[in-house]
Amino acid sequence: MIEPRKDLLQIADLSREEIEHVLAAAQPFKELFKRSVKKVPTLQGKTVLSLFYEPSTRTSSSFEVAANRLSADVTNLAVATSSVVKGESVLDTVDTLQAMRADYIIIRHKQAGIPNLVARHTGAAVINAGDGFHAHPTQALLDASTLHDVFDSADFSGRKVLIVGDILHSRVARSTGCILSKLGAEVGVLGPGTLVPEHRPADMKKFPDFEEAFNWKPDVIYLLRVQFERQGEQFFPSAGEYHSVYGLTEERLGRVREEGIWVMHPGPVNRGVELTDSVMNYERCLINQQVENGIATRMAVLYWLKPQLESSL
Amino acid sequence: MSATILFKNASIASAGQKELAVADVLIEKGRIKSVAPGLGEDKVGRVVEAAGKVLLPGLFDLHVHLREPGQTGKEDISSGSEAAINGGVTGIVAMPNTSPAIDSAGLVHSVLDIAQRKARIPVYTTGCITKERAGKEMAPIAGMKSAGAVMLTDDGSPVCNPQLLRHAMEYAREFDLPLASHCETMELSGHGAMNEGRVSYQLGIPAIPAISEEICIARDIQIAEYTGAHLHIQHVTTARGMEIIRRAKNDGVHVTCEVSPHHLIFNEEHVIDYDTHFKMNPPLRTPEDNERLLAGLIEGVFDVIATDHAPHTDFEKRQQDFASAPFGITGLETALPSLFHYYIKPGVFGWDLLVERYVAQPRNILQLEQVAVTETSVADLVLFDPEGTTTFSREFMRSKACNTPLLDQTLDGSVDMVLGGGDILLERD
Repeated sequence: MIEPRKDLLQIADLSREEIEHVLAAAQPFKELFKRSVKKVPTLQGKTVLSLFYEPSTRTSSSFEVAANRLSADVTNLAVATSSVVKGESVLDTVDTLQAMRADYIIIRHKQAGIPNLVARHTGAAVINAGDGFHAHPTQALLDASTLHDVFDSADFSGRKVLIVGDILHSRVARSTGCILSKLGAEVGVLGPGTLVPEHRPADMKKFPDFEEAFNWKPDVIYLLRVQFERQGEQFFPSAGEYHSVYGLTEERLGRVREEGIWVMHPGPVNRGVELTDSVMNYERCLINQQVENGIATRMAVLYWLKPQLESSL
Repeated sequence: MSATILFKNASIASAGQKELAVADVLIEKGRIKSVAPGLGEDKVGRVVEAAGKVLLPGLFDLHVHLREPGQTGKEDISSGSEAAINGGVTGIVAMPNTSPAIDSAGLVHSVLDIAQRKARIPVYTTGCITKERAGKEMAPIAGMKSAGAVMLTDDGSPVCNPQLLRHAMEYAREFDLPLASHCETMELSGHGAMNEGRVSYQLGIPAIPAISEEICIARDIQIAEYTGAHLHIQHVTTARGMEIIRRAKNDGVHVTCEVSPHHLIFNEEHVIDYDTHFKMNPPLRTPEDNERLLAGLIEGVFDVIATDHAPHTDFEKRQQDFASAPFGITGLETALPSLFHYYIKPGVFGWDLLVERYVAQPRNILQLEQVAVTETSVADLVLFDPEGTTTFSREFMRSKACNTPLLDQTLDGSVDMVLGGGDILLERD
């Protein structure tokens, strides 16, 4: 029996058993979606509050659909667009929200560690929906769930995943990299020297170019979304140069197809930067499955976590 | 008029003397009248049995943020100087990054005037190198000097423009004022909030690389060498930075430097779960830096131990996330017990080093009268009980702030009594 947790803040906290438990719990929900009635009464009467301090369409709607399908009452606070008073800390906002008696708080913020701070402050179950460069644990779980389907096992031993792009600023690289390692996969990285930090985990092998990376025989290539510039800092000369060196070009897609490599991307994609258009139609492109599995995985997470509120006892 | 006090059988700590010397110490008219074994108790107002306790000169902290004027929610001159006394510190130097910044003769005068009225120990102040610490125009250096400023610094920021820094050094040199540098290359630090390394990667916190500090140390030393000014490098945190200073000293450059207790004791590995009590600038570096800085302190690369006492409110440090919380921790009340607990008690270094680096050298840098447990010295004294313990609870703190990683921790050693100019400023049961 796997005990429930109060919060999901970062994959690093989870044991392999816990990860496998969530992945297994997501399976019946995937089946559920094939039926005409996609809703179960599991969280009836529970309140889910989602606090997005950073704009997001995909993740916030994925959580919303997940909570709805569990029959919870969902309220979205688009804090990014509402007026957050200057000087008001996140905890002030959380205090206000306590009055609403939320059972679950889903939070995304541009600063790392905010969900950890909120979790210490509330009895509600806190789910990190992405904090700065730090973590995006439900993305990692949905990625693992997607690969679980492909490999037909939650044991990724002997599998190799190449993560390509901006490792430095990517919470996806951190979380997905972490879950893959925990499930036994080998993780390699490829990207501009400015964006692949020396201080990454020691077991993340770095490749100098696609050629050597292909020779490593990866099972999966995981492309990260890149930004040409961040707060005025430039990390590579141009999007065009990025595409030619680190992008999944038409030519490289040929090699990918030949070797039957799976392709993933957390979305939204920059066409012509991380990948060329035709990748989207490649039969082993898993981008749509990732989105679909996002809902089932988030349902499994909501189902697993246990708020520690007086009212929930 | 202060009463006569006699310390019986005290173990006396002095610079340059490895072993503690046991003797009686008689205080009269604010100064030390005699130091000898078996002094008579006749006509003595107060006799303090000090067997087994260490008597050392009052500490002198070259780097303190008193937050007055303008940020008195964090600290003020009165509470900051009381915090100093609570930690056995009997002389402090205020940093000028207040609001407004201490960048004129008027502000220097006003700070010293408040200190005169509100503080029970001597409080000295620095003045800014540049107006408003903005790094654009030189502050009125001669005016601040005549108002009583003892050192110049834009602490909290470097002077980014090397030409301006060069001019400030050339100008200040003629007034015999040291320039203290907060070494940081702003473009490299960016929005960084902790050391760049394994932990910053894991936590996803924007990071400050060691080279941000090291490049600025090297630059400022070159300017000091070129101009002949006295440069003091504040809060050195990296082993490489320290080595640059060591080389410069060997080359005869007029440079001094300080290390803070927290950069010896803590490192980036302590920044777990986004605890803002470990957020300071410059940041905590690596365990290897801890070791090498400690070796440097013992070898004498560091002239001075200084705390960089940086009080902040509970809201700022405890209710905010790591990126939003301000840099800095308090240090005045924890420095002596923590240096005793971590280094003196286990025999890593002796009391002589502490007195040399935390009393004699900082006073020497400012050309102040020396204080020691010797006849005729001003009676600024600390009686320290090595068998006692100190718990840094909120109730213990005299500072308005308690933003220290040592909050609620108990360390060995206790400041039992503090004298300033022969007056008893603190006495603990």
